[in-house]
Amino acid sequence: MAWHLSVFVMNEPGKLEKITRVISAAGLNLRAVSMASTGEFGVVRVLVNDPDRGLEALKESGFTAAKRKILVAQIDDTPGAMHGLLVELTAARINVEDCYGFVIEEGKRAAIVFEVEKFPEAEKAIAGTGIHLISDAEIYRL
Amino acid sequence: MYWDRDIETMERSALQRLQCERLAATLERAARAPYYRRLLEKTGVADVREPGDISRLPFTTKAELRNEFPYGFLAVPLTDVVRLHSSSGTTGNPTVIYHTKADIIAWQDLVARCMYMAGMRSSDVFQNIMGYGLFTGGLGFHYGAEKLGAMTIPVGPGNSKRQIWFMREFKTTAMHILPSYAMRLATHVKEMGLDPRTDLSVRMAFVGAEPHTEETRRRIEETWNIRAFNSYGLSEMCGPGVAFECPEQSGMHIWEDSFLAEIVEPDTGAPVPDGECGELVLTTLTRTGTPLLRYRTRDLTRIIPGPCPCGRTHRRIDRIRGRSDDMMIINGVNIFPLQVEQTLMRIPGIGSNYLIEIHEENFMDRLHVSVEMAADSFQGTLSQLEGLQSRVLAALRDETGVTPVVKLLEAGSLPAAEGKAVRVVDRRAQSGKGC
Ligand SMILES: [Zn+2]
Repeated sequence: MAWHLSVFVMNEPGKLEKITRVISAAGLNLRAVSMASTGEFGVVRVLVNDPDRGLEALKESGFTAAKRKILVAQIDDTPGAMHGLLVELTAARINVEDCYGFVIEEGKRAAIVFEVEKFPEAEKAIAGTGIHLISDAEIYRL
Repeated sequence: MYWDRDIETMERSALQRLQCERLAATLERAARAPYYRRLLEKTGVADVREPGDISRLPFTTKAELRNEFPYGFLAVPLTDVVRLHSSSGTTGNPTVIYHTKADIIAWQDLVARCMYMAGMRSSDVFQNIMGYGLFTGGLGFHYGAEKLGAMTIPVGPGNSKRQIWFMREFKTTAMHILPSYAMRLATHVKEMGLDPRTDLSVRMAFVGAEPHTEETRRRIEETWNIRAFNSYGLSEMCGPGVAFECPEQSGMHIWEDSFLAEIVEPDTGAPVPDGECGELVLTTLTRTGTPLLRYRTRDLTRIIPGPCPCGRTHRRIDRIRGRSDDMMIINGVNIFPLQVEQTLMRIPGIGSNYLIEIHEENFMDRLHVSVEMAADSFQGTLSQLEGLQSRVLAALRDETGVTPVVKLLEAGSLPAAEGKAVRVVDRRAQSGKGC
């Protein structure tokens, strides 16, 4: 099972910068960041190479944070690949709750991180599609 | 089980006779203070023969204590005074209470009686996490605990690391702490990787000096796995030791051998029957240095009717609902800060720290409530936060009748006060605060 971190942030200047500072001070590798916000407050997702240590570091610095289960799919870094993935997920009746992506290898490979409602079912459903899920160990090595 | 069985379980009729005698002696003593001498010459002490007659005397308020600064209420020669306690007055004169040696001894005994009643024994290790100095909370409990015979650690407030160090090194079993600090200190314990429920020896806490709700008490008890006892006192009486919870934890026995209690309607001063809420008015019955007659405490409570299963005959007052001068008036609606606290503490996922602000927006009052979420209840989704915020808003609207602006904050983001927590800030141009 792979995890990313979810951090509660009030919308104030410098909040994101403080998160990245804590992560780098803990000697961790920050692979991707995304943010969802209502205007007053938001939730920042952070993908790091060691989620347990990342969570500890954030909590020690006073952040309200939690660990969330994720699936990470690999797609080609080409136009239309993301759409192809979503078509497959929809066909497998998987409801994506949260999603963001990042490039692994320019022009070649990209990763799409998503949270889904029901994990074991989602993983099984994906097994029957053409989607390539990246293994946990590989995610943290990216 | 009782610190002073004869007094604590005295028949009501005997207790009333004792009050009668002590009231007469108090009036005699009070008449030696310049302020009461003038007053009693007019009113006539002869009219007050028993506690029921006391309503013939006028009230004493904080304003008189201030106006008569420094010695208007002093009833003994200054050479008989061994200590003074004073409230910090930011505007005008402070209020000063003078204690004789006999007053200090009586006060120690009252506090020891309270702590013993709650279950503290001489084998306990007592950590006093309250301010020493002019504030009566620290010294009051300090001498009470020593009188009881418990090893007392006079650490004072603040410096959480040091508090926890003492708790671990000396296996503290009882503590005296502000309710807001009890919750913050537990957070520090957890941050140090310890579980306050299992890794410490604390088994009981005395909480007071800040009005707080039953919900807050239960949270303190659960967080620490202890029993927390509510303490009531005010510096104008002696400080802590006026009323205290017994093991039943349902109301505080007010020590009627030492204080004569009345509950009055705050606006008219008319007495209200037992069971109904009003302002507590107290007359000292044993004090010699600064006797006070019918002192308006501004604290709102009620007498809990009926006897207590613990066997003590002294009547019980309910948890303080607020101070009559704490009431907020928001567009004509009366709201007490404790109503807000009570509502917030009932919502799972909400932390113990909050701030109420009253703003004026387009000539209307607006209630703003900022509240921290509980760090360990965060699941990581925006929808959880939005749901929590709207639950808080709906609950506060239902309780108070006004629609507040709710701001959900990260855990630990409200400023942590060393002393009493500041819970209400009125930001209106002309503060409409009052009663
Ligand atoms: Zn009782």
